[in-house]
Amino acid sequence: MTTHESLLRMSGIVKEFPGVKALGGVDLDVRAGEVHCLLGQNGAGKSTLIKILSASYQPDAGVIHWDGVETSLPTPISAIKVGISTIYQELDLVPGLTVAENVFLGHEQSVAGFSQRSQSNQMVRDLMTRLGHSEISPTRLVGSLSPAGQQIVSMARALSHDTRLLILDEPSAVLDHEEVDNLFRVIRGLTAEGVAVVYISHRLEEIRQIGDRITVLKDGITVATGLEVADTSTATLIQLMTGRSIEYVFPPRPEVAPERGPVVLEAKGLSLAGVFETMDLTVHAGEIVGLTGLVGAGRSEILETVYGARRATTGTVTVDGTRIRKGSVPAAVRAGIGLAPEERKSQGLLLDQAVYRNVTISSLGRFARGGFLDSAAERRRAEELTTSLDVRPTGVTRAVRTLSGGNQQKVVLARWLLRDCRVLLLDEPTRGVDVGARSEIYQLIRSLADAGVAVVVVSSEVEEVLGLSDRVVVVREGAVVHEAPATDLDEARVLDLVMEGRVA
Amino acid sequence: MSLRPIHKQLGTSLVAGIAVLSLAACTSNASDSDSDSESSGGTSQAEEGSNDEAGDTVVIGFSAPAADHGWMGSITESTRQAAEAYDDIDLRVAEGTNEVSLQIAQVETFINDGVDAIVLLPFDGAAMTPVALKAMEAGIPVVNVDREFDDPNAARVTVLGDNYGMGVSAGAYICEQAGGNEDAVVAEIAGIDSLPLTQDRSQGFEDALKECGLDVDNRVAADFTVEGGEKAASNLLQAAPQIDYLWNHDDDQGVGVLAAIESAGRDEFIMIGGAGSANAMRAIQEDNSVLKATVIYPSTQGADGVKLARLLVQGKSMSDLVEIEVPRTVQLYAPVVTSENVDQFIDTAFES
Amino acid sequence: MSKDTHVDVPHNTVGATGESGRVEAEGARAGESSGGAMAVLRTSAGRNLGLVVALVVICVVGTVTAGERFADVDNVLTILKLASVIGVVSIGMTFVITGGGIDLSVGAIVALSSVWCTTLATQTMAEDTHWIVMVLAALAVGAGCGLVNGVLIAYGNIVSFIATLAMLASARGLAELMSDRKTQIVRIESFKDFFGAEVLGIPVLVIIFAVVAAAGWVLLNRTTFGRRTLAVGGNPEAARLAGINVKQHTVMLYVLVGVCCGIAAIMLISRTTTGSSTHGNLYELDAIAAVVIGGTLLSGGRGTIVGTVFGVLIFTTLGNVFTLNNQDTSTQAVAKGLIIVVAVLLQQRLASRSNTA
Repeated sequence: MTTHESLLRMSGIVKEFPGVKALGGVDLDVRAGEVHCLLGQNGAGKSTLIKILSASYQPDAGVIHWDGVETSLPTPISAIKVGISTIYQELDLVPGLTVAENVFLGHEQSVAGFSQRSQSNQMVRDLMTRLGHSEISPTRLVGSLSPAGQQIVSMARALSHDTRLLILDEPSAVLDHEEVDNLFRVIRGLTAEGVAVVYISHRLEEIRQIGDRITVLKDGITVATGLEVADTSTATLIQLMTGRSIEYVFPPRPEVAPERGPVVLEAKGLSLAGVFETMDLTVHAGEIVGLTGLVGAGRSEILETVYGARRATTGTVTVDGTRIRKGSVPAAVRAGIGLAPEERKSQGLLLDQAVYRNVTISSLGRFARGGFLDSAAERRRAEELTTSLDVRPTGVTRAVRTLSGGNQQKVVLARWLLRDCRVLLLDEPTRGVDVGARSEIYQLIRSLADAGVAVVVVSSEVEEVLGLSDRVVVVREGAVVHEAPATDLDEARVLDLVMEGRVA
Repeated sequence: MSLRPIHKQLGTSLVAGIAVLSLAACTSNASDSDSDSESSGGTSQAEEGSNDEAGDTVVIGFSAPAADHGWMGSITESTRQAAEAYDDIDLRVAEGTNEVSLQIAQVETFINDGVDAIVLLPFDGAAMTPVALKAMEAGIPVVNVDREFDDPNAARVTVLGDNYGMGVSAGAYICEQAGGNEDAVVAEIAGIDSLPLTQDRSQGFEDALKECGLDVDNRVAADFTVEGGEKAASNLLQAAPQIDYLWNHDDDQGVGVLAAIESAGRDEFIMIGGAGSANAMRAIQEDNSVLKATVIYPSTQGADGVKLARLLVQGKSMSDLVEIEVPRTVQLYAPVVTSENVDQFIDTAFES
Repeated sequence: MSKDTHVDVPHNTVGATGESGRVEAEGARAGESSGGAMAVLRTSAGRNLGLVVALVVICVVGTVTAGERFADVDNVLTILKLASVIGVVSIGMTFVITGGGIDLSVGAIVALSSVWCTTLATQTMAEDTHWIVMVLAALAVGAGCGLVNGVLIAYGNIVSFIATLAMLASARGLAELMSDRKTQIVRIESFKDFFGAEVLGIPVLVIIFAVVAAAGWVLLNRTTFGRRTLAVGGNPEAARLAGINVKQHTVMLYVLVGVCCGIAAIMLISRTTTGSSTHGNLYELDAIAAVVIGGTLLSGGRGTIVGTVFGVLIFTTLGNVFTLNNQDTSTQAVAKGLIIVVAVLLQQRLASRSNTA
């Protein structure tokens, strides 16, 4: 270790949410002028930690030292005041305002309520020069800038507050290679001025390029802190990130290799402009295919395109040999495809309506004669299904909103069970589902496959993909980088593929 | 807002107008028809020395609210006709509008164009006062029609209908029909209650009825539309199971009122209309409904305004008056039309 | 409701037949299937308690102040007749609002339909053939306007507020152009006779309203169309991903309200014996007010026909009671505002109580 003074030292940070311990004792130590990388899998607690740093959350325990002095950050403004600025993945800019107006949003340069336009424009010009982007005019509308340009505006806003610690949450996710290089130049310029940067990214190669030291989180705990990037191997990092803590019970795979069943779902030459490149996907009856990759790699989009919720730029989708009309969900549903979307509440369910109505919504024709519904039959059928799936609490006339995440997911699955789906597309099926219910859902998915359904599961959790699937497809930046039987892969390999596109 | 006196003596309306123009001197019971209609005189046939003799061409700007009901449509229509009858009138008609700001802009355009006179039926008299003053200050005489300005200096001449007089005429007619029966049940269906013109009509009606010991037993307000009239009348007929006389302020809404009456199967009363639409007059002529009379609110005010504007600009006086200048105020009479005199009025009535 | 069938469907077709039978009341809180009309009334009354109270209060006030003139059969029929036109429009509005939209153009569509089907040309044609021509014309104009609204909203991605605002302006304008702002009087006696008639003492207009309301109730609560309307209004994205053709459904909703406007236009023509561009003035506000105090969620996803009928009756009865007591329109407007607030507050209280219970 060097003789640098710590700018920020967090120790023993604990944060609990009802039922979940998000952080169970995190230590972090950041020095002025360094780029400190924060690593960890989804759900490791990075976001929570950032929110505590920016004072959006208050820690339940732990101490924060700022510039050597113990400090509490009661409000987001107090964090900004001491010099901590955060740039989130979802940029919080107002597209209809100019660059200068966005930079000074909330701390407008004004005299007696009148904004000092020329003065603030000049200040923004200076900031842009400092960031090496003097081409961005203060009077331009933010909405007309590229994502990279908008990111620069966010950074200018941070710097307008005399920032000493800048937190960047996956800043490269929205950028192409050249823009990432630009970003790094800006970061180096800032660290040269003594600004500390906390850099969060999944891409190990970026960390090698820009990072000085690393802290690794896993399951809400610091597993390593202050590692020098130069002294740490990628293998070590992956080991640190994945060391297992929770064991899920995955149902056993069938003894007969399911690839030998007939092909049910076949996507050929499928692409969606700007999102994912031409790809083929074949799923056999009784097979579970796991689709994994980083958030933003195009996983959900692939599912939605197969389902017709997005209109494919090229390619065809067939179910049992019958081609499905492009861009039509009703056609896909009629052909026997079902989707459990990633955002269950906003995309999957009618939260205020009864369980049975959520179950039957895609099969109303079955309960109708001449357009008139037989609700008693609807409820009876929904009752049977939810009972067999052990949805709790019972009662099909209860509003879905009152159910837990796992039970809501079962309701979505019941909807497709009712239709006797041929293909089931499951996007993050266990997100927001507690540990106990997870195993039930895994069991259910497997039994559906055993009944001959072709299943595609998208998941960010590598162990889930490996444990549940028969075959794994890894996508990275909109392209398939690897495809193999799950038994031929291990977690480290998948992580390598996910992050670097190749096996290290 | 209005300079109109609220409490006029009954009967003053008979002489209230300083002059009585085209629809002159016809009372409900004694119709001594006037000489002949002046407006028919084209300049070519005009007698030497008469007011109709051609003079210098007069450019007149005319602006009125949108013609969204029959009466207002007729205002613009009759104004055009009056202007066409004179070779020396160049009438510029602005698109009818119910937007005050647009109407102000129209008058401003007239001022900029340097018209010789402006005839203005304001959507809102108070709101149009400043721009009318501006025109007057620019030396352009303004003839204010129907809805009065706030400031008497904003107009050189004001041509008014007689809303109060309408009520009085209707009331007087009922008094006459009732023949001293002070127990007669009188009902009233007003127009839009918030408008001063409706309030004036009702006031006149009430005052006139008082003279013979009657009062308004049931009163509802509608909105000058057929639908509104039907709705108001349906409820009114329920409120009053027995009616002797019913005055409806407006013949446009009267179509709906009559529909409601017919639907309720009521015919025990006499109905008097208002404004004087051709529809109403035809019904009076046919004499097969409860509608027996209507009180005219002349829709020729704009036309009179144009004729007066011409006289003003050409420096002429009103021929039958001794006075050399055109008077400041002209208030038109509100005669009652019945089956006896309907033939006289039906030609000038407006189609709703 | 089945749509395109150009894809081979091996498993199930939306719209295929199933068994039919009795089902539960609107909203389906009660878990068991109910026993017909009484149960419907019971649950409706429970859910609409605030409205029932409001209507009863108005009726009591009417009876106390106006006595027999209020409680008279004729007067009740007058109230129903007055409620029937705006009632039919409000039924259509209930569907659009439940489906997550709004239609500001209902009054203008009523005006245009009324004008179109009373033009000289239409009336002449009706004279030569049958008055049904006028009815068909009104329905077609209403459906056409609704179709334009629906297509602009669903496929043109124009916010319903804006699209129907444009229709409000242009349909009324077109009505004025067609009628030259003149009142068009109906000459077809058979038309007037039919709609002006009474069946067993009940005016035909009231019967039409009753039929439309009943059909609306069945459509919303007993059919796939109604269920999809709730889904589309409650969460359009979830509805889309569940396989519902949301765009097509949206178009159908606006056509439905357009047809209701056409029916209302016919009724209004019958009542006033005229077609006019001034017909249907401010219907959009009256209909929205009736729908919302009825308990339909303005943001969509929950709708009640019974509530809407109550809403319409409350406003119409209120107007009647005020006229019977010779009160002016200003007092009536104040009372109307108060009723809206009180009914909605009452409704919220009762709804939250029944939810927690």
